[in-house]
Amino acid sequence: MITWSSFSWFALPTMLLWTLAILMIYRRQLHSEGKVSTELNVNTSSEKGNIPVHAESAKISPLYTSALLTITGILIFGTFIALMWVSLDRPPMRTMGETRLWYTFFLSVIGLIMYLKWRHHWILSFSLVVASVFIIVNLAKPEIHSKDLMPALQSVWFVPHVIAYIMSYAFLSAATIAAIILLYRKDYSDRSLISLTDNVIYIGFGLLMVGLLIGAVWAKEAWGHYWSWDPKETWAFITAAGYLMYIHIRLRENKIRRFTLWLVVFSFVLLMITWKGVNYLPSAKGSVHVYSQQD
Amino acid sequence: MNDKIKRAFWQAPWGYKESIAVVGGLSFVGLMLQLSTGNFNFTLLEYPVGLLAIVGLIVLTGLMIWRHKSPFFVWFSGVPMSVSVIGGVLFFALIMGLVPQHGDGHAHEHSPLGFDTVTRSWPFVLLYSLLMLNLSMVTARRLLNFKWRDYAFYLNHLGLLLLLIAAGIGAADLRRYVMHVQEEATEWRVFSDSGDMIELPVAIHLKDFYMEEYIPKLAIIDKKTGETYPSGNPQMWQIDTLNTKGEIMEWQIEMLEYIHEAVRNSDSTYRHVPMPGSCPAVKVRVINASTGFDRTGWICGGNFAQLYMTMELNEHLNMVMTRPEPKLYRSEVIVYTQSEKAIPASIEVNKPLKVENWFIYQYSYDSDRGKASTTSSFELVYDPWLSWVYIGLWMFIAGSVLLIWEGNKKSKISKDDHLE
Ligand code: HEM
Repeated sequence: MITWSSFSWFALPTMLLWTLAILMIYRRQLHSEGKVSTELNVNTSSEKGNIPVHAESAKISPLYTSALLTITGILIFGTFIALMWVSLDRPPMRTMGETRLWYTFFLSVIGLIMYLKWRHHWILSFSLVVASVFIIVNLAKPEIHSKDLMPALQSVWFVPHVIAYIMSYAFLSAATIAAIILLYRKDYSDRSLISLTDNVIYIGFGLLMVGLLIGAVWAKEAWGHYWSWDPKETWAFITAAGYLMYIHIRLRENKIRRFTLWLVVFSFVLLMITWKGVNYLPSAKGSVHVYSQQD
Repeated sequence: MNDKIKRAFWQAPWGYKESIAVVGGLSFVGLMLQLSTGNFNFTLLEYPVGLLAIVGLIVLTGLMIWRHKSPFFVWFSGVPMSVSVIGGVLFFALIMGLVPQHGDGHAHEHSPLGFDTVTRSWPFVLLYSLLMLNLSMVTARRLLNFKWRDYAFYLNHLGLLLLLIAAGIGAADLRRYVMHVQEEATEWRVFSDSGDMIELPVAIHLKDFYMEEYIPKLAIIDKKTGETYPSGNPQMWQIDTLNTKGEIMEWQIEMLEYIHEAVRNSDSTYRHVPMPGSCPAVKVRVINASTGFDRTGWICGGNFAQLYMTMELNEHLNMVMTRPEPKLYRSEVIVYTQSEKAIPASIEVNKPLKVENWFIYQYSYDSDRGKASTTSSFELVYDPWLSWVYIGLWMFIAGSVLLIWEGNKKSKISKDDHLE
């Protein structure tokens, strides 16, 4: 029977492997710094048309050693989640500490997949660093980990609802970083990064809606109504509206505009309020969805 | 569209500026109506008026189809209008998310602009209607030029449209009541929010209320303040029948015996008696190596029928048992309908019973008596629009899953798509 007391035996090796993965990427980047200019020339001429291609988005091959290190870390960490699930006899998704486990897990998995697909080195480093921050929080601030799941949470919808949401958070945070990079450069012509943003927002928004709608189906079964404009629901609605605006604006926009990029950042702030901030808002007193306060 | 040409405000083709002006203007009209007449009265939309509103929506959409080439409708069912309406709804939803909201029927100061009752305020209702109208036209316009490969678009937009209509207009016909029933009694009366007694077409006879509880935890409390120790970051030990050793701070705990349904003997020990008044009890040995404390004894949380039992650790601290949390509760009932049917059923959290257009939910119980409760409360919900909600919901879910998939495809086509 595994408990939280064994967490560090899984967490520390995972973080060690991930640190190595990041260091290798970093070393590789230093190495290739000198070659960038020539690489850039080759790439600009090989692309169709005369759209400038930013150096960072030029065809970089992913670093497979880093990928391998990342996977090993993920496997070790996933083992801990699986063992916890078995020993708790319920999905470990109730307390804040438990949801952080999933955030770490999906962030690293999704980060790796996106890295292999889009090859931006920052994706892997970023997702591994954030994933590690969640591990550190769990190590530093162990909470009371209740074994009990209140009856309203005992539902088939519980697991898909939480997983869809957590995965969507991971994708949408990656999109936010991409948008911030573009805003920071003040040059919105990096097509690779723009299409990454569009693409990742479609995926993240799809997952967000799946999570939200499954939540509605579940609420009908558990609380009698599918939508009650509870503060958490209201904020989920606001967040969805933000990303919905982005998706539709992009339908008729060839080059991305500053406003659209800011909308990505703004929507992510809304998402963070939905996830965390709602608990602190005066409007959320008595929300049925704020479980963490009872722990 | 040649939107490259510089054009003045309100000069065709219309775009974002005009759309934002319309949304802003409608919000302004809404705020004025709110100031002069107060909240929108949803009972106006009760059956059959709600259906008329839908017919209106269909007629206007038909008009758009008939005149779909007119610059006005091209604009009215276009992206800039959609984005602006969504933005307007977002704005009022933000107010809803920031200002604490109030229910109906409670006496309190109301915000004159309706900011504490946003869902029933005029601006929100007007923008919501504009959203439905726009979405209906957008979807119809695409359907005019039907293509199989637009399936994701149809599922998302039609699903959402059904959902918005059935949830928005259907809200007027929704009824929710809470009914409290005693064991062995039959009840058909409920009280509305305003305290009026209403007789329902369904009656509930409660045969039995059944409840299971989780194994409780051990905690340490300050005798004087009752606060859990250490204050601010209380530590507890989950009693565990497999892993019998644990600790809270510097106290080592060894569990010797656990009885989930215990009754106290005259000599302060416990025995297993499965009956409503029983409660969990545990025999533990507690050791504190630094002070030499070593004691063995029973701890029990107590309930309405039995006293609690604690273990004194020192002059300030006691070890106690927490209240067991509910694991499952359900009511064995017979539901009678007006059509003289008697339906025996078992109603549980997450497992409601559907009788005609009513849904019956396990709502609550007498929490002071816990598993010995002899009353059970049910929530009865009447929603004739629910089938449409579910159709819309599942279309929308399917559309969202496809969107995840589309997102994956997007990166491949977008290479050329986004070029001029
Ligand atoms: C969650 C809900 C929604 C999703 C996922 C969604 C998604 C999409 C997508 C992916 C497209 C592009 C379709 C394509 O080019 O094949 C689209 C187009 C469009 N959507 Fe939505 N949409 C949603 C809700 C809305 C709403 C509420 C409105 C209006 C109020 C709206 C208005 C439009 C318009 C005007 C278009 C352009 C149609 C066209 O190109 O002819 N959508 N939507």
